[in-house]
Amino acid sequence: MFFCWLTECQAFVEEFEGALGKGKGRKLYAYKVMMAKKMIKFNRDFDNFKTACIPWERKIKEVESHFGSSVASYFIFLRWMYGLNLVLFAFMFGLVVLPEVMMGLPYGSIPRKTVPRAEQDRAMDISVLLDFGGYCKYSILFYGFYNDERTIGVLQFRLPLSYLLVGVGIFGYSLMVVIRTMARNSDEGGDGGDDGQFTFAFKMFTSWDYLIGNPETADNKYASITTSFKESIVDEQENQKDENIHLRRFLRVLANFLILCSLGGSGFLIYFVVKRSQEFANLDQDDLSWFEKNEVEFVMSLLGLVCPPLFETIAELEEYHPRIALKWQLGRIFALFLGNLYTFLFALFDEVNAKLEKEKSIRNATIWGLNEYYSNYSSYHNTTDIPPPDIHPADVIRGPCWETAVGIEFVKLTVSDIQVTYMTILIGDFLRAMIVRFLNYCWCWDLEAGFPSYGEFDISGNVLGLIFNQGMIWMGAFYAPGLVGLNVLRLLTSMYYQCWAVMSCNVPHERVFKASKSNNFYMGLLLLVLFLSLLPVVYTIMTLPPSFDCGPFSGREQMYNVVMETIENDLPAFIGNIFTYATNPGLILPAVLLMVLAIYYLNATSKNYQNANLELKKKMQMARDEEKNRRNNKENTNQVMQDLEDLLPNRSLKSPKVAKRPGAAANGKGINIQKDVSLAAPNPKAAVTHPPGPRGPSGNARGPPPGPARGRGRGTPPSRR
Amino acid sequence: MGSRASTLLREEEIEEIKKETGFSHSQITRLYSRFTSLDKGENGTLSREDFQRIPELAINPLGDRIINAFFPEGEDQVNFRGFMRTLAHFRPIEDNEKNKDPIASEPLNSRSNKLLFAFRLYDLDRDDKISRDELLQVLRMMVGVNISDEQLGSIADRTIQEADQNGDNSISFNEFIKVGNVYILYIDIDIDI
Repeated sequence: MFFCWLTECQAFVEEFEGALGKGKGRKLYAYKVMMAKKMIKFNRDFDNFKTACIPWERKIKEVESHFGSSVASYFIFLRWMYGLNLVLFAFMFGLVVLPEVMMGLPYGSIPRKTVPRAEQDRAMDISVLLDFGGYCKYSILFYGFYNDERTIGVLQFRLPLSYLLVGVGIFGYSLMVVIRTMARNSDEGGDGGDDGQFTFAFKMFTSWDYLIGNPETADNKYASITTSFKESIVDEQENQKDENIHLRRFLRVLANFLILCSLGGSGFLIYFVVKRSQEFANLDQDDLSWFEKNEVEFVMSLLGLVCPPLFETIAELEEYHPRIALKWQLGRIFALFLGNLYTFLFALFDEVNAKLEKEKSIRNATIWGLNEYYSNYSSYHNTTDIPPPDIHPADVIRGPCWETAVGIEFVKLTVSDIQVTYMTILIGDFLRAMIVRFLNYCWCWDLEAGFPSYGEFDISGNVLGLIFNQGMIWMGAFYAPGLVGLNVLRLLTSMYYQCWAVMSCNVPHERVFKASKSNNFYMGLLLLVLFLSLLPVVYTIMTLPPSFDCGPFSGREQMYNVVMETIENDLPAFIGNIFTYATNPGLILPAVLLMVLAIYYLNATSKNYQNANLELKKKMQMARDEEKNRRNNKENTNQVMQDLEDLLPNRSLKSPKVAKRPGAAANGKGINIQKDVSLAAPNPKAAVTHPPGPRGPSGNARGPPPGPARGRGRGTPPSRR
Repeated sequence: MGSRASTLLREEEIEEIKKETGFSHSQITRLYSRFTSLDKGENGTLSREDFQRIPELAINPLGDRIINAFFPEGEDQVNFRGFMRTLAHFRPIEDNEKNKDPIASEPLNSRSNKLLFAFRLYDLDRDDKISRDELLQVLRMMVGVNISDEQLGSIADRTIQEADQNGDNSISFNEFIKVGNVYILYIDIDIDI
C-alpha cells in the first residue's frame, strides 16, 4: 500500500519535473514559461498598437462627448465608408489603372487616347477641363482611354478581363462587407433588456474612468457624463409619457397620410417635369429660356430644400421617441431622393440611346472608309502587304463613346454634390454662427436664444447624403475608374471639415438621445442603395453593346464576351466544359431552390433562439422582481400565490408599500408594485368574507402594466365579485 | 534606484507587509520607490498635497475622497505601512487565495472589501448609508452646472429608487453590493502593478 503510493508520487514527480524547479526538465520549463509571458506581452502590445492605428478615434470621441452618441454615429459611419472606399480604390487602381499606365500605350499613340483635332485648341481651357472635357476626357479617369488588346506588356496582363472582373468585384466586395458589418452589429444588439435594472445607479457610481490622466480627456469625460445623463433622462421621459392611445394613433395616421400626399405630389411633379424636358430636348435649344433649360435641376433642388423641413414639422404630430423619429425621417427623405435618382437615370438613358444611334452611322462610315483605303491601296501598289493607314491619331473619325459620356455625367454629379455640401456647411452653419455671434451685440432681440440661433447637426440629411453619394460611386465606378479615387479624397477632407464645423458652429440637440447600439439602420439603407445601383450597371453590361472604338471592350458584341474568350483561349478545355454545364438552367434552378430552403431553415432556427432568449430574460426579470418584493413587504406578486393567499380566510391584503415620491414616478419596469386584484373563484370550503383589498395606488393612470407575466390574462379570469 | 529603496526598507518589514497585504516582494519594492518619489519632503510620510500631485487623482471628481481614504481618522500624514494597507484593496483577486487559509480573516483585496472601499467613497459621514444629499453632492461634482438642479434631484431619487430595497430612502452597503453584483465586470477595482 505504501509502495503503491510511493510509485504514484514518483510518477507525478517525473511528469512535472520541470515545473517543480528541480531535475533535468527545469531549464526547458523555465524557458517555456518565459516565452509564454513574452507572447502575452507581445499580444497585448500589438492589440494596443492596432487600437492606436484606428484613425480619428480621438476626434470622434471628442464629438461624442460634446454632442452625444447619435451625432458620433454619423462620423463612425463616415469612417467606415472611408475604409470601404479605400479598399475599392486599391482594387481599381492596382488592377486596372496601374497596368494600363505602366504597360499600355501612352497618350497620343492611338486614336482613343488622343484629343481629336477639332477639340485640340480648346483642350487646355479651364472651363473645358472643369467640365471634364479636353484632356480630362481622354485620360485614365474615364472608360474610353483603356485599350482593348487582349494582353498587354511583358506579363501578359489581361486588361479587358481584369476591367470587367474588377467592375463586378466592386459590387461583390461591397455586398460582402455590408452584410458582414450588419451581422456583427446585430450580435451586440441583444443586451438592451438588461439596462432597465440599475441604469441611473450604474451611471452614478461607475461612469468615471479612473485611468484618465490628461486634462483634455478629463474635460471630454465630464461632457460625456453630462450627455449620458441627459440621454437617460430623455429615455425616461419617453417612458413616462401620458398615453392617450387613440388620439396618438389618429395623429400618426394623419401624419402619415399627409406625408404620403406630399411624396405623391412630388413624384408626380418630377414625372411631369421630366416629360417636359424630353419635349424641350426636341425643340431648338436657343428658343428656350434659362428656366426652361434648367427646369429639372431647379425642381429637384426646390424639392430637396422644402420637403425635409416639411416632413419634420408634420412628424411632430407623431410624438415618437427621438431615435424612432429619426428613422422615420430618414425613410421618408430616402423615398423623396429616389425620385431624384429616377430623373437622373432617365436622363442618362436618353443620352445613351441617342449616342448609340449616332454611333451606328459613324461606325458604318469608318468601316466603309477603311475598306476603300485597303482596296485602293492594293489596286494602286499591287501588294498584299498593306500597311495601316498613315493618319495622325488626332484626325481619325471618332465615335461618340457613350460610356465615357456616362462616366463624365457621374463625375460631374459627384463634384457638384461635393460643392453643394461644402457650401451649405460654410454658409448654413459657419456664416450663420458668425452672424449670430457678432450681430447679437447690436440687434433688438437675442439672436442666440431666439431665431435664428446656432444650427444643430442634421443627422438624417448628412447620413442620406453619404449613402446616396456612395450609390453614385457604385454606379459610376465602372465607367470612370478615377471616380473612386475622387471619392476617397472627398471622404478624407469631409471628415476633417465636418468635425471642425460641428465642434465650432453647432450646438448639441435640445434633447440628446442615445443612438441605437448598432448602425444597422444605416447599413440597411446602404444595402438597398447598393442593390439599386447594381441594377443599371448589370443591365448595361448584359444588354447594351460597347462602343466600337473606345474602351477595353471595343469591337465585341457584348461586354461579357471577354469572359467567354478567356475561357476558350486561356484556360484548359475541361474548365470550359465545366462552365457550360454550370450555366445549364437544369443545374441553376435546383441550386437556387436549395439556397431558398437553407435561408428558410436558418431563419426558423434564429427565431427559435430569439424566443428562448426572451423567455430566459423574462424568467430572470420575474425572479428579480419576486425577490425585491419579498424583501419589501413579504408578499408575492406571483399571481398564483396571490390567488392562494386570497383564499385563506380572514386575511386582509396589506396595502403594499410603494417606494414612490412625487417627481420620481415609477416606470413599470419592475419597480412599480401594482397589485392586481386576484380573481379567485368562490371557494366552496371556506367563504372569503371580505372582498379583495384596495388596489395598489396607481400613481398615474397608465394602461396595463408592461413587463412580464403579471397575471393578467393567465387563463380565463373567473367571475369577479 | 531599486537598490537604494530596498536598503531603506528592512527585510522584516517587507515580510510583514507581505503577510498583511498579499503583495509580492518585487511589487512591494516597486511601490516603495513610488512612495519615495512622491514624498517630496523626504520624511517618510505622505501628506495630502503629495497625493494631489498625481495627475489622475487631480482631475478625478472623487479625487479628494480617494486621497482621504488613505489617511486614517483625523491624521494628516500617512506612512508606508498605511499606504500599502490602502493600496492592498486594489490588488487583483486571485483564485487560489480563497483556498489558502479558510480560518484567517478576509484578505484586504477580497471582493466585499473592495466594494466597501468604494462604498466609503460615497458615504462621507460614515453612517453606513448613502443618503440622497450625499448622492446629490457626487452628482454635482461629476456633472457641474450643466444639468439643472431639479433634474439632478430626480436623478438622485431615481438612483435610490433603483437600488433601495428596504425602503429607507438611502442605499445601505448590502444594496450597494447588489448593484455591484449585476455588473461584475465594471466594479472590479483592480490595478495590475
